[in-house]
Amino acid sequence: MPSTPKLPDGLPISFAAFTSDQMKDWGLLFPAERSYFERLFKLLDRTPLAEVDDLFGPLREIERGMGIDEKTFPKSQFTLAQVDFLNRNPHYPEWRAAVAQIFARLDPVLDSEVARAGHARLVVVVAPSDLPADPDRMWMRIRQRGKRIAVDAPENGNEFLPLLLTGKPRSAGAPTIGQLFAAGKHGGPYTSWIVEAGSTLSPLGAPAAAVTSYSYEALAPYRKRLMGEVQKIVEAQETPGPRQLSARLKQLKILASEGSVAKDPILAEFARAILLSGNGTLLINNTFVEWATLQAVRRARPSVAVIGFGIRNKVKPFSSLLIYEDQDATNPIPSQMDTLGSYVDLEIFYQYIWQEFQKYAEYRANTAYLFVGDGMEEMLAVAPPDFPLLATPGPLPLPAVFGHLKDWLGV
Amino acid sequence: MPGISKRRFLQLAGLSISDRILPSLSAAEPAASRADNKVILVTFGGGVRYSETFAPEGLHNIPRLVGLRPQGHFFRSCINAGVLSHFNSTASIVTGNWQRVDDFGFQPPAGATLFEQFRKQTGAGPLDAWTVATNKSFANMGWGSDRALGQPYGANVVLPKQLLLEAVQDVVKQGSAGGVADRDSVLRRLEGVLDSGYEGIGWTIFQGGRKLDRQVRETLIRGLVEYINGPEAPTSGDELTFFITREIMREFKPRLMLVNFWDMDVAHWGSYSLYLNAITRTDRLTGMLWDEVEANPAYRGKTTVLILPELGRDGDINAANGFLNHRSGDPSCRNTWLLALGAGVPRGETDRPVHHVDVAATAAGLLGVKAGEIAGVPLRELLL
Repeated sequence: MPSTPKLPDGLPISFAAFTSDQMKDWGLLFPAERSYFERLFKLLDRTPLAEVDDLFGPLREIERGMGIDEKTFPKSQFTLAQVDFLNRNPHYPEWRAAVAQIFARLDPVLDSEVARAGHARLVVVVAPSDLPADPDRMWMRIRQRGKRIAVDAPENGNEFLPLLLTGKPRSAGAPTIGQLFAAGKHGGPYTSWIVEAGSTLSPLGAPAAAVTSYSYEALAPYRKRLMGEVQKIVEAQETPGPRQLSARLKQLKILASEGSVAKDPILAEFARAILLSGNGTLLINNTFVEWATLQAVRRARPSVAVIGFGIRNKVKPFSSLLIYEDQDATNPIPSQMDTLGSYVDLEIFYQYIWQEFQKYAEYRANTAYLFVGDGMEEMLAVAPPDFPLLATPGPLPLPAVFGHLKDWLGV
Repeated sequence: MPGISKRRFLQLAGLSISDRILPSLSAAEPAASRADNKVILVTFGGGVRYSETFAPEGLHNIPRLVGLRPQGHFFRSCINAGVLSHFNSTASIVTGNWQRVDDFGFQPPAGATLFEQFRKQTGAGPLDAWTVATNKSFANMGWGSDRALGQPYGANVVLPKQLLLEAVQDVVKQGSAGGVADRDSVLRRLEGVLDSGYEGIGWTIFQGGRKLDRQVRETLIRGLVEYINGPEAPTSGDELTFFITREIMREFKPRLMLVNFWDMDVAHWGSYSLYLNAITRTDRLTGMLWDEVEANPAYRGKTTVLILPELGRDGDINAANGFLNHRSGDPSCRNTWLLALGAGVPRGETDRPVHHVDVAATAAGLLGVKAGEIAGVPLRELLL
């Protein structure tokens, strides 16, 4: 396991505290995160001292005015207490602006390094077959950025996703596009991801392939245990507030019996963080999918991501009061799917997901996005001009789409 | 089963009739003398963005407010320049100073609240100022840290949803066959909670000790009965907030109220459709509150209602996670609106930016009291 790099000297106190807090569990960071910090420190190291002073000077000045010192921001500590301190400080907007200014100068340099080592990437976002919308009402917030492509949907709807993602019927057990990438020259651990509400994408393809996979449905045992534990903590009233609760929640790690990600400490911690720090991720399948995807992009920078949304259930009476209870146990009324509500939810999530990928240099000029409705006769492609599907007349058989995806990724 | 009585049903029906047959009095009627004025502050707590409300694409979510806008004065830009947490945002509204106290309500607002200034200067009694809210942290919203004022002059703070929470959790623990779908069971437990230990759920009814004042208790029970036995399954904490507020208005006729609706904070769960539904529900309940003002002789023609979002929420572009959160400090978080209705409010619209802290100064002016040393300034458009 590589050792934590040393923080450069002379950083502003809040900047140093935040950075060292982010790095303190170095062994639990994804390779992309470690690479970022290493490149950042190398950049600062090779930058002339006068320029570094010029870069951080405004933030230091604001920190003085805010009362930021070693006491309020102890080394390696950036907890809710520090966040709270910043939020409540009258100079907080100036602090934010100064930090943004620093990254506005650093990021172009770091981004250019990333862009030089770039390769083609692929994001497939799958809407569930139960969605009550036809292609004319899909992807309304982003459709102007791409092109709708007609495809031949198979008569057997169960074959749609296998044909799209493996090029073969399900029974063939052929490797998925993500599995092929993970085994290829740009592949490796954490490069190919599946995040889904149900369990339709993860079982596709060859077993035991090196694809990182999170399923809201498959994590049910862990989710239910977490909800029970949180409920107990709240009821015991031993934790006076969110800060203390946050500290307790950090101890609730996934057990081996609750999911295969428990075997990998990085993925185990990612699962815990997703379920306990992302507001509704314990409660709503699609919130889990969206937040897990955003965090995967921010932290792991996957090269291939297949994201599967589902249909969320209707909210039962009083469920907002029973956040951490099992809704099926507390209310005998059968759960009902909220297909219309899910449609509305997903329309904004398509935008958020596309935006999040596009924030990072790894994705900007070389990523093809396919927005797909399971069983739908059209899909939306948002991609660079050289993405082959954009120039291919449809309707296309799904194995042909798969072939183009393979060509795009060079696998 | 203490079901809805015929009389109460007729009252409910009567409300909808009054909406159609009573003329609108607000625009034409001048303000009554300041000594009689009443002020109701209605906040879209939890936060709502312009884009889902008064932006062109959001108007369909708020049909009642859109309909009321021409009757009142609309401030197109009401800015929350303070800390973007719930407690600090609302505390800034009720104190007139940008608050930087504990985000989770573990400290009272710094300085004095409007409630205290009002009661101290007018000699108003303890039933004359109320806060009806949802979030438990708002238990400290009734009075501030100014030792010269404080609790003796504070507002009653009622947190109906906390009461409901207690009752529903009890029902779940008892394992009743119908679970929380059994409304009778929930109601019985609600009444039980009112009989014992209400202090633990955030109530600060003016009478100390463990027993609620009988009149207050009966008033609250009426609100609860209407809520539990309403025509639709009771899913919303804000509906309970509305029913309790209306009962308080009918029974005690307070001159100053803060009503903090909260359902839209469901946005944190990450469901855009639930967030939109909550906005529309709050719009409907705010409209019903206005109907009550118009129908209730104690309020009609002498009440100014100031409606505003507590804060916005993060914008869709380049924010941490868009509508789910409200801490980015971007314009979508800070730029909100304010709609004034009722007595002494000239019809019109104002473009100049006003601020959340101006609300306390304005309300003080409407009530004929001095706001003290505060950052906010009265909205001159409303104090002609």
